[in-house]
Amino acid sequence: MAMKYLDKYPKNLAKSGWVLKPLVTVLRLFAKTATRKPVTVLYPYEKEWIPDNYRGRPGLRFDKCVGCGMCVRMCPTACIKLVEVADDDGKMVMRPQVNLGRCAMCGYCAEYCPVDAMTVTPEYELAEYTRFDLIYGPRRLHYEGTTEGMEVKLEVTLPSDIENGNPERRVSLFDLDRPELIDNKCIGCKKCAKVCPVDAIEMVEKGVNDKGRPILRPIIDNGKCISCKNCVLDCPKDALVIKEVL
Amino acid sequence: MTDSIVPIKEIEENMEKMDTDKMWVIMGPQHPFSHGLWTLKVQLDGEIVTDAEPIVGYLHRGWEKETENREYPKIIPMADRLCYAASMTYTHLYCMTVEKALGIDIPEKAKYIRIVADEVCRIQSHLMWLAAVGTDLGNLTVFLWCMREREYFLDLNVKLCGARMTTNYPRIGGVRNDTTDLFDRDILRTVDRFEKALWDIIYLIDDSSIFVSRMKGISILTREQVANVGLTGPAMRGCGVDFDIRRDDPYDNYDKVDFEVPVLTAGDSYSRYMIRVEEMFQSCDIIRQAVQKVKALGKNAPYRIKTPSKVPAGTTFTRLEDPRGESLMYLVSDGTDRPWRLKVRSPIFVNVSSAKLQSVGTRIADVPAVLAQIDMCLGETDR
Repeated sequence: MAMKYLDKYPKNLAKSGWVLKPLVTVLRLFAKTATRKPVTVLYPYEKEWIPDNYRGRPGLRFDKCVGCGMCVRMCPTACIKLVEVADDDGKMVMRPQVNLGRCAMCGYCAEYCPVDAMTVTPEYELAEYTRFDLIYGPRRLHYEGTTEGMEVKLEVTLPSDIENGNPERRVSLFDLDRPELIDNKCIGCKKCAKVCPVDAIEMVEKGVNDKGRPILRPIIDNGKCISCKNCVLDCPKDALVIKEVL
Repeated sequence: MTDSIVPIKEIEENMEKMDTDKMWVIMGPQHPFSHGLWTLKVQLDGEIVTDAEPIVGYLHRGWEKETENREYPKIIPMADRLCYAASMTYTHLYCMTVEKALGIDIPEKAKYIRIVADEVCRIQSHLMWLAAVGTDLGNLTVFLWCMREREYFLDLNVKLCGARMTTNYPRIGGVRNDTTDLFDRDILRTVDRFEKALWDIIYLIDDSSIFVSRMKGISILTREQVANVGLTGPAMRGCGVDFDIRRDDPYDNYDKVDFEVPVLTAGDSYSRYMIRVEEMFQSCDIIRQAVQKVKALGKNAPYRIKTPSKVPAGTTFTRLEDPRGESLMYLVSDGTDRPWRLKVRSPIFVNVSSAKLQSVGTRIADVPAVLAQIDMCLGETDR
């Protein structure tokens, strides 16, 4: 490897050309650009090309969202909040609302969404007249032209897969982790079943205690579970833990 | 002092005859010479600077304290905002620190993609510096041409990760996404084009005696002074210290790519300028090699591994060759999913303390030209 610049410029060459050489360089560029079209675009009328993976404001697919609150927890600027809205059948459901005045456009909400409901959109013209207008409700977050590439998908490889010599890229990061029950801590309060957004937890009777009341224990359907951690965080006795697959 | 028009010694002799008071001039925080919010107090004896004192801290936002309340992945977008010109290296440094604390090894492909991203970041940071040098020395053409070239590298950032400056690209355990389609073609074209364009900028500066005479022989630093102040980065290598973390303490896969570390012994303002220009050419070479390596690994190679959310208790420190110098992070973890303490050593915070050494003895008109070689970035200095 050789040095491209320092080999050519070992000493001061300024005396040789004085300012004539820079003048020639500028004139050459002038001659080049005089014959060409201007590169500037008339902005509001024509726009620059943006690539497919451009990170603009977050978008939401209302029908796909389950209201698990993963985006709320992962947002680094805490701009997402779960609000209650009526869905298409008139039922009240929890859906994210984004305050774009605080959004940093990092794309974490789309990246960590377990059901690919949050997306990134290529919209960047977000100016509004008041701060209130910057708060995007769940319906307003919808973006018409959502395509495949806008659902940011995490493709991770497990360290154990690499050790086995089969480095396969898996699509979702959190589908692999599952909550597990520590039986002696559980008091059977049904909180986990209530809080589960996909109804993966079912409370099952497992015998009777010495006072004659039924003992309830959660059973987790691993096929339905999206590993949103809601049950783990809401458990009053820390009886549920999420076990990470590595 | 060969190229200065009036010998400084002659002025100093004349000054002794006159009995004048020294004067403090406060440049900044809002001043055309300072790129960002900082103050330089200079003591003047006529036109000669006799003392200088940098004052930083106007942009302090409690970065280190704020990290203590966040989970590890949430700090990555914050690390982007440490330095607006070199966001990728800081995110890279943070991810490397956590990976080291976790004791994991990331996939080969991620390492090479990080090298590509880092070197793109280095070029665009150096171009921003070159633009600043152009305006400080009174040539707006250099500024415009550098900013034009920088746009192409920002476009590469968009192509790679979807954002121009706040990239949020490296992740703990790899990178965010694989290289997109045709990225390798685009980056090779950009680099080829850039090398030609950089020669044009060099012809503007190096062949103009107006430019060179304001940099050559001014503010000479010796190796001892550099060591005492703790100057790092291109400014250190311009003063004859042959040290580059990429070569001497390689991280990721820098030991598998071939490049030269430029070193000059003159120690003046001009040699610090030359080192940075040469580094841009070397970065182009590194990019070409690393893109080939990424291509050779194939399309389906893993680029990110799953990492545990909790970091075991202990202390870790990692350092990395930032475009501006040696940046370092020191992490104290306590076994939870949040850091207990995260210390950042920013190169500029140390480099700016050499402002006195660099500017004493020069004339007031040369102070912007001399201090442009520090490549100030206040985002990381004040944190």
